[in-house]
Amino acid sequence: MSKKTDTTRRAIVGATVGVGLGLGAISMLVPIGALKPKKEVTPETEPPKKGDVFVFAEGDKKGDEISFADLPKEGPAVLAFPKDPKTGVIKNGERNNMVLLIRLDPGELSPETAEYAADGTVAYSAICTHLGCTVSEWLPDKGDLMCPCHKGIYDPRKGAEVIGGPPPRPLPALPLQAQGDKPVCAGGFTSPVGVVAGLEPQGGSCAV
Amino acid sequence: MYRWLDERLSLSRFNKKFLRKAFPVHHSFFLGEITMFAFITLVLTGIFLTFNYEPSSRLIKYMGRELPAAYASILYIDSLPFGAVLRSVHHWSANVMIAAAFLHMLRILISGAYKKPRELNWLLGLALLGLSVVTAFTGYSLPFDAFSVTATQIGYGIGASMPYIGEWVSQLIFGGEYPTLHSIPRVYSLHVLWFPLLLMALIGAHMLIMIKQKHTQPAYAEKVAPGKILGVPMMPQQGYMMGVLFLLYLAVVFFIGGSYIAHPVEAFGPPTASTPAVKPDWYFLWIYGILQIIPGDLKIPLPFGAAINSEFIGGVLVPGLLGIAAVLLPFLDTRRTKQRYMELPTRHPVRTSVTFALIAFLLTTSLAGWKQEFGFSNLQLWTIIIVGTLATYLASYLIIVSYWGKAPKGEAGELEEA
Repeated sequence: MSKKTDTTRRAIVGATVGVGLGLGAISMLVPIGALKPKKEVTPETEPPKKGDVFVFAEGDKKGDEISFADLPKEGPAVLAFPKDPKTGVIKNGERNNMVLLIRLDPGELSPETAEYAADGTVAYSAICTHLGCTVSEWLPDKGDLMCPCHKGIYDPRKGAEVIGGPPPRPLPALPLQAQGDKPVCAGGFTSPVGVVAGLEPQGGSCAV
Repeated sequence: MYRWLDERLSLSRFNKKFLRKAFPVHHSFFLGEITMFAFITLVLTGIFLTFNYEPSSRLIKYMGRELPAAYASILYIDSLPFGAVLRSVHHWSANVMIAAAFLHMLRILISGAYKKPRELNWLLGLALLGLSVVTAFTGYSLPFDAFSVTATQIGYGIGASMPYIGEWVSQLIFGGEYPTLHSIPRVYSLHVLWFPLLLMALIGAHMLIMIKQKHTQPAYAEKVAPGKILGVPMMPQQGYMMGVLFLLYLAVVFFIGGSYIAHPVEAFGPPTASTPAVKPDWYFLWIYGILQIIPGDLKIPLPFGAAINSEFIGGVLVPGLLGIAAVLLPFLDTRRTKQRYMELPTRHPVRTSVTFALIAFLLTTSLAGWKQEFGFSNLQLWTIIIVGTLATYLASYLIIVSYWGKAPKGEAGELEEA
């Protein structure tokens, strides 16, 4: 066997092994890509849409529909999930569907906020835009919303704008309208809900 | 019996070579050992926990209540004989491991033991400290109670705040937008399998390199026997000391674990719609403090619609920069000779003062974690942090220099080899 054939053989074996390993590695990208699970939209995880009523998210009346009379005047905020009135499905399969319902004095609302409000009642996403905790504390002195995790404070009268702490942007509003004695959803959230991963939020999250 | 084994495994050779190894003795040398004892305790109590834990967040019926399976299995563990104690010991040992590893690192730092030829072990040590903290964090989420879900949610958000890759990385680790049904199995796998294996491998390498390179010795060793290793033999003297220390460690941590149940899952309750007011464990308090006082409108735009947010700065950038500084530290030192003896902190006023300033920074940023309780404003806290850190540096430097003078040229240990 000459030296020449020996080197060609080595080259061929090397190339075969290299191509094999390379293709194998590339094909592994598919299962690695699948590690980020696909989000499945079920009736429970659908975003709120026009006409949805609201139910209590916690407490003794958990799951009961909320009427204006259930909401304490001038706060505190009530945690709620939307419910499709036709199918009766409560949309609590997705944390980002959780909203805060707050009954305020209609005269105190900023013009922009009043547009989304129904009879002084406003709804905001309950998910803090900072790091995704539930904005579940109520500061009774001025009637502000506070996230207990890193003390982000939002003013519900002015479109939930940030008035203290670290959140990067206001809570998305959920437009409301009155239907009988109940507040119902009048459209999708005005901006993306929750933590926007290092990227600038781009427009509304869902259509009406 | 010994002879039979010796003929086959050459035990006497091993005994001569390794078990009679001289171990330098210094009271600060036990910090690394305590870290290892805590790790061993974590593995042993962890085995008990995995035998009874159910890694799933699916709702099941338990004692007439509908609860996530993971949460219910923790209630079950707490109901077992000594179950709550072992779980507490697991929790407290994690705290001790991180504290001891951090103090061990400070000891290496102020005595200059990270210098040539021990750069590799310094890097391994940093990796071990970081991995310990990450492992502790993945352990947070497993009980799946209201507290742990909130804490893990914040971790998810911090990971997701990394520009470009953040969302992908966070969803990969937490199985989608936390919490999903995939979350607990993934974090469980990391916490009980991959991170402990990695820790064991790194600890093994850390030990082997330490045995190969030997300790930096206390300075008196140079006067007594220059160029030689002074210490007690590995077996039996050092071995007995370690054994006694391990038993002492177990006694203390079982006393604490038996007296104070850590992370009272029953009291925290299952996950709720609202967020409980929670504070992280002390070793995350400084990051928690920074996150609270960074202004939210701070946003540095990047190309392709990405941005650096305050969450990223507080949760990733600040700890990351400290880590990078620590990684670079041994390479700033350009000496050619090998470091054989511990340096006196007072002979290195700048390095020692920077260490004190680092401690002041960590303490003052942790103080910011109590922003609401103390009613501080952001401005006050920033002033305390910046002034506190700088003042600590200055005070420490002035005190060291005025009491012990500047470092003389040709210090002990450096002279000998030059």
